[in-house]
Amino acid sequence: MYFKGINSYGDRGLVLDFGNETSRSISQEVNDAFLNISNLNLQSLNIVPSFNKIVVIFENSHIRDQNKDKINIKMNETKSQSNKKVTKTWKIPACYDEDFALDIKIIQKLHKISKEEVINLHSSVNYYTYYIGFMPGFPYLGDVPSQLITPRLATPRVKIPARSIGIAKNHTCIYPKVSPGGWNIIGQIPFDIFDLQSPKPSLFLPGDEVKFFSISLPEFKKIKKYNFSSNELIKEYSS
Amino acid sequence: MNSIIITRAGTHSTIQDFGRFQYQHLGVSPSGAMDQRIISGLQKIIPNHQNQFLEFAYVGPSIKVKEGSVKICVGGNCNMSIQKNNNTQLEYQPYKSINLFEGDELIIHNTIDSVYGYIAFEHGLGLEPCLNSYSTDTKAGIGSINRPLNDEDIFNISKDVSSWDLISIPKPDLEKVTNFKVYPGPQLQYFSDNSLQSFISGVFTITNQSDRMGIRLKGESLISSESHDILSEGILPGSIQVPSDGQPIVLMRDIPCTGGYPKIAILNEVDISRISQLPPGTKITFDLQTIY
Repeated sequence: MYFKGINSYGDRGLVLDFGNETSRSISQEVNDAFLNISNLNLQSLNIVPSFNKIVVIFENSHIRDQNKDKINIKMNETKSQSNKKVTKTWKIPACYDEDFALDIKIIQKLHKISKEEVINLHSSVNYYTYYIGFMPGFPYLGDVPSQLITPRLATPRVKIPARSIGIAKNHTCIYPKVSPGGWNIIGQIPFDIFDLQSPKPSLFLPGDEVKFFSISLPEFKKIKKYNFSSNELIKEYSS
Repeated sequence: MNSIIITRAGTHSTIQDFGRFQYQHLGVSPSGAMDQRIISGLQKIIPNHQNQFLEFAYVGPSIKVKEGSVKICVGGNCNMSIQKNNNTQLEYQPYKSINLFEGDELIIHNTIDSVYGYIAFEHGLGLEPCLNSYSTDTKAGIGSINRPLNDEDIFNISKDVSSWDLISIPKPDLEKVTNFKVYPGPQLQYFSDNSLQSFISGVFTITNQSDRMGIRLKGESLISSESHDILSEGILPGSIQVPSDGQPIVLMRDIPCTGGYPKIAILNEVDISRISQLPPGTKITFDLQTIY
């Protein structure tokens, strides 16, 4: 149990505090609590999990105060239970072809490893979705193997291609769409992970696991032709 | 069929409503009208607005009826006129509904001593919601129209004007406020007594680096005793965050969904609307409330 308590955030917000450290087990507790609180169907405007906090936003202080006790009760209730929820694992095809791996040489050079080793290491781990942020559908995945830990680019790139896979520090990510950004780009996936037409617009949710598998450029092009929507993806790549 | 065409888009014209909620955990900002007091007022005049308000800033748009007729109402403090199809000019005051006919053009020159203004259209603008909202977040590319409005954009309004009767309401109270009551932010304790003193007694100037995402202030530097780079956490509009240069930023409607700077304080909801209307150069002060 990392949960420390609930603090006010101004006149209409609450912060659920899970301490100042970060780890996968802290995030698992955060994301379990996020689901539990979401299922309370509170009159909240937004519930926002991050590494060790959950911010709950209400329309005004009156509604906030009415709902605070419900959250408190739920958090105390679940304190005693070990919450073993089924995690979804996504198997995501990743093309590490040099056309897409814009910064893979930086990682090779820093760690003195071959391109193949970078690919093998990156696709060897079941990553945890810590949270979604920065831009719509952008997953913070981690942790990358220690031999891949690489600082952000000194000069952020102005235009990172959509669906690019990046590494920064001990995290990896997928850029849902074209964006400026400072992550080291090592590959690309062949389909979109954020779909505004879907009632569930983000493929990944906080707490999901993601494992990449390496595909060749011809395979990449073949999958891209199918033009997957998120719904088809759910059947195809989840387990 | 009734239709209107944007004859001049203005500089920052977008479609907005009361906000897009329940998606911030997926990285989607709440957005929504910067001054929600005005669209609240407009909905009394045009009850069937379909949540499709046109927001403009500084330089307003011009809108011409291409076909049929539409009932509209403008809110805000602006300089405007109506060019009738017979080439006569009509005086027009905000917070009064008006019927416009084919060839009539509403010309909004600029906002006066304020920043944002709005137009409500009876039956809306024929748009489909995006993630349950009509609001535009231009940076994220999300919205019924996922960009600022352009010249020559055309909107089709299939339903006809319901009645030619006109309604007006007294101008809503948009009194200019420059002293803001604020509540403690989650990282208030990171700031030294000196910095807190500067925050409470200092005067901050709104800079022109201000937009729908945030209002950048210039004043005495506020220094956090802990790092200015904190672990990202959820944030809400109205939060006053302080990056390492010590110059506070008031986060507005198109907030980044999580933020990594310490937040010294937060405005209440109505003050987000109030502060959004203060043009660059305005001097403001903060009054820290201890009970919240």
